[in-house]
Amino acid sequence: MLAASARFGTIGVLVLLVIVFSVASPDIFPTGQNILNILNQSATLSIVAAGLTFPLVAGQFDLSFAAVISLTGILTVGFLKRSGYPWPLAALLALSAAALIGLIIGLLVSYVRVNAIVATLGMSTVLLGVNYEYSNGTPITLDPGPFTKIARGQVLGIPAPIIITAVVLVALWLLLNFTLLGKHTQAVGANVVAARLAGVRVAKVTIIAFVICSLCAGLAGVVLAARIGSGQVTAGDGYLLSAFAAVFLGASVLRDGEFHILGTFVGVLIVTVTFNGLSILGSDSSMQFLFQGGILVAATALSSTARRVLSGALK
Amino acid sequence: MTTGGPPLVEVRGLAKTYGNIRALRGVGVSFRRGEVHGLIGANGAGKSTLIRCLAGLEQPDGGEVLLGGEPRTIHDPAAAAKLGLAFIHQELNLVSTFTGAQNILLGSHSGGMLKPRRFGGVPHRVREAARRIGIDFDLDVPVGTLSVHQQWLVTIARALLEDRDLVAMDEPTASLDADEAATLLRVTRQLADAGVAVIFISHRLDEVTEVCDRVTAFRDGAVSLSLPKQDLTRESLVRAIVGHEVVPRSGTQADAEVPDRPVLLDIKDLTRGRAVRGASFTLYQGEMLGIAGLVGSGRTELARTIFGADRSDSGAMTMDGKAYAPKSVADAIRNGLAYVPEERRSQALFLTHSIADNLHVTRWERLRVGRWLPLIRPGAARAAAQEVCARLGVKVASSDTGKAVQTLSGGNQQKVVMGRWLVTAPKILILDEPTRGVDIGARADIYGRIREVAAKGTTVIVISSEFEELLECGRVLVMAQGRIVGQLSGADVSVPNMLNLCYA
Repeated sequence: MLAASARFGTIGVLVLLVIVFSVASPDIFPTGQNILNILNQSATLSIVAAGLTFPLVAGQFDLSFAAVISLTGILTVGFLKRSGYPWPLAALLALSAAALIGLIIGLLVSYVRVNAIVATLGMSTVLLGVNYEYSNGTPITLDPGPFTKIARGQVLGIPAPIIITAVVLVALWLLLNFTLLGKHTQAVGANVVAARLAGVRVAKVTIIAFVICSLCAGLAGVVLAARIGSGQVTAGDGYLLSAFAAVFLGASVLRDGEFHILGTFVGVLIVTVTFNGLSILGSDSSMQFLFQGGILVAATALSSTARRVLSGALK
Repeated sequence: MTTGGPPLVEVRGLAKTYGNIRALRGVGVSFRRGEVHGLIGANGAGKSTLIRCLAGLEQPDGGEVLLGGEPRTIHDPAAAAKLGLAFIHQELNLVSTFTGAQNILLGSHSGGMLKPRRFGGVPHRVREAARRIGIDFDLDVPVGTLSVHQQWLVTIARALLEDRDLVAMDEPTASLDADEAATLLRVTRQLADAGVAVIFISHRLDEVTEVCDRVTAFRDGAVSLSLPKQDLTRESLVRAIVGHEVVPRSGTQADAEVPDRPVLLDIKDLTRGRAVRGASFTLYQGEMLGIAGLVGSGRTELARTIFGADRSDSGAMTMDGKAYAPKSVADAIRNGLAYVPEERRSQALFLTHSIADNLHVTRWERLRVGRWLPLIRPGAARAAAQEVCARLGVKVASSDTGKAVQTLSGGNQQKVVMGRWLVTAPKILILDEPTRGVDIGARADIYGRIREVAAKGTTVIVISSEFEELLECGRVLVMAQGRIVGQLSGADVSVPNMLNLCYA
């Protein structure tokens, strides 16, 4: 009973939120259209948060991904509009830039031994400068075209962003749980000394974790730019807190404080459902932030308390 | 300059039992002002337990502690400090980013918590304490930049600031070179001359005979000898530690039997920092080689250098006739090395991860569907984990290899770490203290598994400070102060011989 409440506490919070919003707004919240809407809204956050899961699993920290989201949006739109590249090329170039950023951070952290928080915060600030320089500080807007259609396109009635998200989530889930790289990433995060003495290439694993995080943020930035039809310096700002909230909420899903992809997705749903439900109820954004912060702390506190009570009861 | 009257500190009939091990069985010894009192003995002989009782870290089961003739109970380290007893353990407890002066003042509790303190520069009373022990280096720089013997001097100055009556030092010279050790011995002498009672624990008999006014030797939890300086001889000390007459033997590499097997690994003058200083030995194909040595003799550092975890500063290694210089652990593993580290929990295990994940960390690539689809087959991983557990006798239900490894007993955890390497079929398996934290029953089992591994053609190196366990080995090297100081084989492999070489 206690074990269940500890392991399923976070999922319980999600269920509770869904019930509360369904009761409060029975006509709008629990409809098929709104469910698709929630998934669509959660698409970019899912991609970002799943990517962020990798450095956290490896015992590192990344604060640069929000700026990467803005960067790839601005670059993609800029390449389309100013350079006239076809959108796949524009997106590919933007993603390459994202991967390069992850690589630089990884090299700094692994070989130069810069603290990850400092390295990524510094990188984030550098990128802010790059973003302002390239966009002159104003949004670069696009007229509707093949690129913006990605965000509005549908396959069998399912919006394309949801499909992209599903593919990314499944791929990262497989990568983390069923590959040598994923197992080694988990080993490095659990005990870096033991991992090194077992022959794990700690530097390589760490660098790849940062590249995955940046690449996912970059992909989210491209999808986001297609959805809003513009690239702007502030596009990624809101994702910093939401993504961390989602991943940390997810760490208490089914496992004891370990970061994992499925948990991250549950965390994303909690964050998105809260935003969606509150805006349906017509609350203003100050309320939404209060709830988001409150729920993050409450849900993690709940499951860690339950775990402590549980382990105490077993002794 | 021993003074009359009751000794400063005296213990009578002190007894302490851990489980079924009698660490102290009725020990009586007294420490006087102005006297340097040496404590010697093998690991586990009882000298550390005595110190822990005096420091308030342990409560004795029997006997009494007298201070100035009055019986006292020392409840905790704070009580010991209040009574004027200072203890300097091997881990020096310095804040490496604070300056020497700041570290010295950290121990000072005069005035309240909120009393304003000058925290820069070197205050007069600190300079005074430093001068007394001949500190001639800058106390205004972070201690992290000082050498180990300078850090020891800082720690001693801290103890002196409070006017201690007794200072106990646990192996102060273990990581010092000859000159630095000489400085420290001089300071030790000065402390005693200033009227402090000094307890000096060391494994180096020459130092003990040089600096101490009185030496007490421990063996199996009891005092085996206690003599004033003028009556001491090296032979009597060794006999007191080892327990019987030691036949003088050279114990050099030349007179030991050389196994009639091909050479697998040849090490020449290997040096790594101060821990390994010109170690040379030969490892033969298929043998089980023991490395005996006291804590701090450089055994672990030697193993880590061979395993590529640390780089050697100089020296050469040859494996199968080819030069061997591992660039990383991964490189050493490719060359057929495997290493079971001494600290199981902090250096080997992923405690919250499953038994299977802990076993497979060295071989995930073999559990993949194929090169074209690098995904791990969960079924194969489970089956492989069960197979290794069965082979090594890890007591776990067949369905439970998914359980966290921290739920296993110490012995079973150790088998999991060993099992990790068996699947890589190493040429050389190095086990560092394989039975540390393992209960007596499981020890024999672990050595049984080690013999099985050796029988299958893996060459095994066992490092241990439990010398009885090394009797399992056909050949034993003895390490002291970073060097291989002797080699025993065949009938010469015995605990007294190992101890004798350690203290040579």
